[in-house]
Amino acid sequence: MADQVLNVENLSIDIPLSGDILHAVDGISISVNKGETLCIVGESGCGKSLTSLAIMDLLPQKAVRTVDKLELNGSSILNYSDRQMSDVRGSKIGMIFQEPMTSLNPSFTVENQMVETLARHRNIRGKEAKKLAVQMLEKVGITPAKQRLKQYPHQLSGGLRQRVMIAMTLLCEPELIIADEPTTALDVTIQAQILELLTRLQADFNTGLILITHDLGVVAKSADRVAVMYAGQIVEEGSVYEIFDNPSHPYTRGLLSCIPVPGKIKRGEHLGSIPGMVPSLIGEFTECRFAGRWGDTLGKEEENIAHLVPIEGVDYAFLVHGTTDHVVRFCCNSCLKKSKSKISKGVN
Amino acid sequence: MAEVMIDAKNIVKDFKISKGLFRGKETLRAVDGVSLQVLRGEILAIVGESGCGKTTLAKILLGLLQQDSGTVELCGSKIEQIPRLELAKMVQPIFQDPYSSLNPRKSIGSIITLPMRVQGEKNSDVWKKKALQTMDLVGLPARMFDQYPNQLSGGQRQRVAIARALINSPKIVICDEPTSALDVSVQSQILNLLNDLREELNLTYVIISHNLAVVEHMATQVAVMYFGEKVEEAETDQLFSNPQHSYTKTLLNSILSPDPRQRNKKN
Repeated sequence: MADQVLNVENLSIDIPLSGDILHAVDGISISVNKGETLCIVGESGCGKSLTSLAIMDLLPQKAVRTVDKLELNGSSILNYSDRQMSDVRGSKIGMIFQEPMTSLNPSFTVENQMVETLARHRNIRGKEAKKLAVQMLEKVGITPAKQRLKQYPHQLSGGLRQRVMIAMTLLCEPELIIADEPTTALDVTIQAQILELLTRLQADFNTGLILITHDLGVVAKSADRVAVMYAGQIVEEGSVYEIFDNPSHPYTRGLLSCIPVPGKIKRGEHLGSIPGMVPSLIGEFTECRFAGRWGDTLGKEEENIAHLVPIEGVDYAFLVHGTTDHVVRFCCNSCLKKSKSKISKGVN
Repeated sequence: MAEVMIDAKNIVKDFKISKGLFRGKETLRAVDGVSLQVLRGEILAIVGESGCGKTTLAKILLGLLQQDSGTVELCGSKIEQIPRLELAKMVQPIFQDPYSSLNPRKSIGSIITLPMRVQGEKNSDVWKKKALQTMDLVGLPARMFDQYPNQLSGGQRQRVAIARALINSPKIVICDEPTSALDVSVQSQILNLLNDLREELNLTYVIISHNLAVVEHMATQVAVMYFGEKVEEAETDQLFSNPQHSYTKTLLNSILSPDPRQRNKKN
């Protein structure tokens, strides 16, 4: 596809431990188009952040990345050298981390850090660079931009720091932005502002955006497409409306039942929950990844049974209601049977 | 008429902040004339952004900080006049981060029984029996008695913190962001647990949170704080359906509804 910014196929990340291997990410494929927001949702430890680091080739040294395809704008960046990769980082793929406190250098002013980015990636220096920096700060809504440039990160509030991070990321006009929990450390009022800002800027610059989060409210607000990760795999992927309307994997249903929705659940009434714990990802899997976590997340949704159409060539993977923009993947046969979904024989 | 558990009037707390080596001190008013009343069995939620004085207020209610002016009465007696040990029996905290609120070098059993030992209970069989009862109450398996915090998940740790708070059967529990460090699936378990325990033990909660969905689900009464002042207090339904103060309105507008179809309705 012409407007595909990122295409990752069959990415796995293994971390060797003493005597055993931790399969942190297990064969996931994602793609992002221009101007599209893909949200990756999942609990801590499911491999969301490692996935983003793997795309940037920033994994810890001992982690082993295996991937079939890693394409940026149609050309493979899989075999890039370190030097080439550091050209890609920042200029082609921008990254916004969770903690704006730690991702800015405390001993340099905002101006230093922004101008350095411009010099490194776009070879713009001096007055020109400063002018661009001011413009960009204004674009992200920092009002006395000239004064703010002279300040150090500790003089800025959390929300302002995150705005500075976003401004720095946008300076090089990247084609893809990866935002790893960009609003988790911020207050709710600031969170809403930052998300709105990201969505607006993304539309202005027509960049692809990967938003990693565990907050389903954030997903509902900003996503075009959603990928739900569980225990190192993508268990369900589809358009945001499909995922929220017809969640088909038990994990997605469980997640959606866990959040208190005003009006849906009475005060004090029990929220849904996913019993048990995320399985350990150390060693090979012999049993179902979802074993022991079924609980009562499924019974309630009886009338909402999804019709699954098998996808040829991939085990336990199905199209939900036959639409191509909603794919669910079970880990094993028992998992599939328990989900009580109806399986159609052929494509209607 | 229900019993008044917490009656705080006009609490003020100032902090002295150094402006620099030779520049003297500046006063920061963290809590500015806040009055609260919580009846038995109620859940009062205190919401507001970071730095608005929520946690300072909680510390005053726990007796960990002394207010500069105003009075706090717990169960009818002034907080300054309640002996330390009595106070600890009356009101207990649950903190935000179960990773830092448990001593990593102590076993779960020893963490949970510490309040009993502090209260002067000498018989170790009594501790253990009570600890196992409490662990059962909060849904921790008995085999964890001899384990250490690093062997537990975040949700289990928070359960340990809850067990520790409940072992001396307090009347009031003050939860400072009890679920914000946890995943959503674990958050729902902890919220369910807090609700069950309230019914079972007739507890009164003060919950400090910035997650408004959680607040709406749990609280019976909500107080909104802004720059140290209480700007609005109302019953939960009333506050969410008919907010009066402009800051409350801003707060409610920034709730992200978990429904993609509502994304363009607000703001």
